[in-house]
Amino acid sequence: MARSTMFFTRLGISVVVLAGLLYVPQYFGTTETQLWSQAIYYSLAAIGLNLLTGYNGQVSIGHGAFFGLGAYTTAILMENNGWQFLPTLPVVIVIALAAGAAFGFPALRLKGLYLALITLGIAALFPDLVNRFASKYGTAGTSLIQPPAVVAPSWADSFTDFDDQYRYYMALFIGVVMLVLAANLVRGRFGRALVAVRDHESAASILGIDVARVKVSAFAISSAYAAVAGSVSVLIEGSANAGKVEVFRQSILFLAAIVIGGVATVIGPVVGAFVVVFGQDFAEDLIDDKPELAPATFGILLILLMYVLPDGIIGGARRLLRRLTDRSAAEPAPTPRTT
Amino acid sequence: MTLFLQQLMNGIGNGVIYASVALALVLIYRTTGILNFAQGEMALFATYCTWKLSDEGVGIVAAIAISMVFAFVTGAVVERVLIRPVERASPFVILIVTIGMFLAVNSLAVTIFGDDEKQLPSAFADGGWSVGDVSITYEFVGLVLVLVAECVLLFLLLQRTKLGLGLRAVASNAESARLVGISSGTMLMFGWAIAAALGALGGAMYVPTTPALTAGSMQAVLVYALAGATLGGFDSPVGAVAGGLVVGVGEAMAIQYIEPLHDIELVVPFALIGIVLLFKPTGLFGRNVVERV
Amino acid sequence: MMRSRPTRTAIRSLAVAAAIALVGAACEGGRDKPSSDPTTGGAGSSPSTGPGTPEPIIDASNCPPYELEGDTIKFGMSLPQSGLYSAFDNIRVGAEVYFDYINDQGGVDIGGSKYKIELTAIDDAYEAQSTVNNVNEMINDEDVFGLFSVVGTKNNLAIRDIINEQCVPSLFAATGAAAWGNKDYPWLLGTPLVPYPLEMKALVDYLEANQPDATVAILRASDDFGRTYSDVFGSLIEGTGITVVKDETYNPEQFDTAAQVTSLAATDADVLILGATLLACPDALGNVKDSGWDPLVYLSGTCTSKTIISLAGDAADGVISVSSFMDPADPQWSTNAQMTLFKDTLAEFGPADADPESGVIGFGWSAAAALVHTLTNSPEATRVSVMETARTLTDVSEIGLMVPGAAFNVNADDWFLGETFNIVQYSLDKGYFEVLEGPLDFDGQTASVTPDALINS
Repeated sequence: MARSTMFFTRLGISVVVLAGLLYVPQYFGTTETQLWSQAIYYSLAAIGLNLLTGYNGQVSIGHGAFFGLGAYTTAILMENNGWQFLPTLPVVIVIALAAGAAFGFPALRLKGLYLALITLGIAALFPDLVNRFASKYGTAGTSLIQPPAVVAPSWADSFTDFDDQYRYYMALFIGVVMLVLAANLVRGRFGRALVAVRDHESAASILGIDVARVKVSAFAISSAYAAVAGSVSVLIEGSANAGKVEVFRQSILFLAAIVIGGVATVIGPVVGAFVVVFGQDFAEDLIDDKPELAPATFGILLILLMYVLPDGIIGGARRLLRRLTDRSAAEPAPTPRTT
Repeated sequence: MTLFLQQLMNGIGNGVIYASVALALVLIYRTTGILNFAQGEMALFATYCTWKLSDEGVGIVAAIAISMVFAFVTGAVVERVLIRPVERASPFVILIVTIGMFLAVNSLAVTIFGDDEKQLPSAFADGGWSVGDVSITYEFVGLVLVLVAECVLLFLLLQRTKLGLGLRAVASNAESARLVGISSGTMLMFGWAIAAALGALGGAMYVPTTPALTAGSMQAVLVYALAGATLGGFDSPVGAVAGGLVVGVGEAMAIQYIEPLHDIELVVPFALIGIVLLFKPTGLFGRNVVERV
Repeated sequence: MMRSRPTRTAIRSLAVAAAIALVGAACEGGRDKPSSDPTTGGAGSSPSTGPGTPEPIIDASNCPPYELEGDTIKFGMSLPQSGLYSAFDNIRVGAEVYFDYINDQGGVDIGGSKYKIELTAIDDAYEAQSTVNNVNEMINDEDVFGLFSVVGTKNNLAIRDIINEQCVPSLFAATGAAAWGNKDYPWLLGTPLVPYPLEMKALVDYLEANQPDATVAILRASDDFGRTYSDVFGSLIEGTGITVVKDETYNPEQFDTAAQVTSLAATDADVLILGATLLACPDALGNVKDSGWDPLVYLSGTCTSKTIISLAGDAADGVISVSSFMDPADPQWSTNAQMTLFKDTLAEFGPADADPESGVIGFGWSAAAALVHTLTNSPEATRVSVMETARTLTDVSEIGLMVPGAAFNVNADDWFLGETFNIVQYSLDKGYFEVLEGPLDFDGQTASVTPDALINS
């Protein structure tokens, strides 16, 4: 396919998808819209984790903690200092960049499994820290913080009748901006450096890449994505919360999202996040009178997906596309191919 | 001093449990290069089986033995059926498969056995000795002895038997092992089977020290066991035991002596890990090898 | 910020315009616009309240409209059905049996019409965030009339703003926290369980009479629930000979108390207060026994169910607690009409594996009976009317498994129930809680024994 056709196909798909996403809260009720909004902030966290784990090869099972950091920063600023939602985002980003970098430095010494387990440690520890230090901001001394709900301003009246629609559009807006930023990042110099460091660290350093700087930056940026996702979760859910089970669950679901969607692909984490959010909802609805079976259904769904599409949905789609185009190219002179 | 000794015992009591789960994790990791996230939940399922048997009137020791056999077989089947198809896939894929198992096994256990609290009898007699002001329960001594026995048997198995030789050969280089006629597939299956049986034993030891068997019983233990294994070095059984003990004792001491760490005792194991790994990135007893995730 | 991107805004406006056009044109799935017609509301500015209540307690002027349709009244319940706290699911079991029993008789009579009661329960695994989601779902999608017996202190704290805004009655929330006395939240009524502060009041009275120089150690959950015990106890012993020698906390997400108990045992205090719940209770009791320490143990009222106590084995012998309900395992109630109704109905309508001696099932049954009592006394089937009735319950006695001789009152000055109760002591030989003293009447005293910060924070 010619380069320009490719570009226009992509643009076309993007426009259609975006139009569909804009239509979502007009069509669906509150609960379903909430689900779509959740998929958006899961996407954000997965996009960030993909920068670190997919492109740079540093596995983190602890991004639930950075997600929580963003959520609590936003919630505390809104609840205690009377801030609006949007102005909290720059603060969240700065704090998360700093926290991510602070974590990225010691991570330089660690590889693979050891790094993964240390990150799991922060996911396990984060809820205790919140209970200890953030509970004074919460409802009557609990760690749950519920800032005032974000309501639609009057200029949004033309396209929102409900506040949750406005919140959805805000989440979508943040999501699209951050996706475009991430896409530009990985397609540029920094993206190539990430991959070079992942694939061959010593070769990358011979090529003049500052390995340490790249790795720490990857950590910082991906933490910022997770933290912004956390902030958006406060916008959508109306609260910041850090239960032990929840933080651990989020951490592994973010990871699951990038693997399901396609590791080190731009759009893969988004696709994966939607599968994770809607897959769980589907699993809950599937067997109505046995709610305790829902995690089993979802777990088996994950395993099956891995068997069928080990390189993720995007990877699988690419394989399919390649086979189709190969076949159509090969049609004039059919030569048997073994695939 | 009495207080110190008593807290030391509390710490060791928890530590031996962490150590035995860590041992199972390390065993799978050494033979297959896989971190089995579902290890704790597989142990949970086996422990429910032990409970069911004992509830039906089987003696507790026999119930544990039967569950270990069951776990051994299940472990082998899981490796064959669930892990084998993705064996050569990327480490991410294997990670997600074990996470899927983690979710599925827990939820199946709740569905099959019910989510109310179960009481699993201890394999050890009630009571204990008093040495000065320090009380030592029979259970404590029993737990330590079981862990020691586990270590000795595992050592003998790995170092003195043909099976052990095969396991070690596959662990160090699967390709060359195959060339000299060792079926790596069979060995991996054995690795999973043994680890699952160890998990069943660990669960049956651990649960009676807690008030009840619930669906969440093994999750906190998994975190501590992972911490122990990381601290000790993920490819070293000795490290797993040492790491588990250090984590257990560190936690108990923090509760007693470090007031600011109240409710955030979990800082202790991870701070220890942080410090150790900065100086020795593969843990106290780990070797420098190329890891899969 | 968003308006500074003219192109995007334009594109979006176009897309949204197209979308809205589509909705308007064809789509039945599109969501309705909010109704601006005030006359549809049953609540609205309806002046009608219960007879004999001159001043309405509840200001319903800003309430969204709600009308009960059909002959079914639906209540929602969010509670842990999975995870560490899943034992509380038995509250639902007891409540469902009571509702089945009422429905079997034709339903509940509210203002002259019969309604069947429907209970919808969603699992929140004791996570406050999930409670919020569940409650939103039940209010927005399932259109529940009210909430019933939502479990957990932090969970109820998390939803009280929502129910306030939506004017949804949340009745008999299953937690004894002091916060339910906060007058800013008229739509949330607490439980017929003994309020936690009163547990401490009863204990201090008991110690003053029996052990006036007692040294006390406290082990409590490191959350709001646990803090209530130590704060109230601390303030009540001022000026007495009782002293607190050590106050330890445990992590409520783990239930492991060995190190804490060792530390407390070293003080050799006379009394141990366990401001703990569920599995932490038997765990701590077992550890106390292993340590050789032999204090008088006061156990939180939340831990007195048979299931929990039996997990502690012989370590539970002699612990004291309070209860506003009859213990279904205690044979002295075997001929009590309330108790026989409970056991017979449970056998008839309940699940086969339901334990007739479970105090948690008994609690759910009793809370459901209190709800039906409230509905029956409500002059009309509107949210405001039911809530007004709940806020003015007078001399309610012999409801569910309430202790004979106990009565509860709710009025403008006193928002607490469960203020009449027995001090009970567990006997291992007999296998149930024996009544030690009581019924003690602390009606109207909860607010006065509680530090204001616990109620109005």
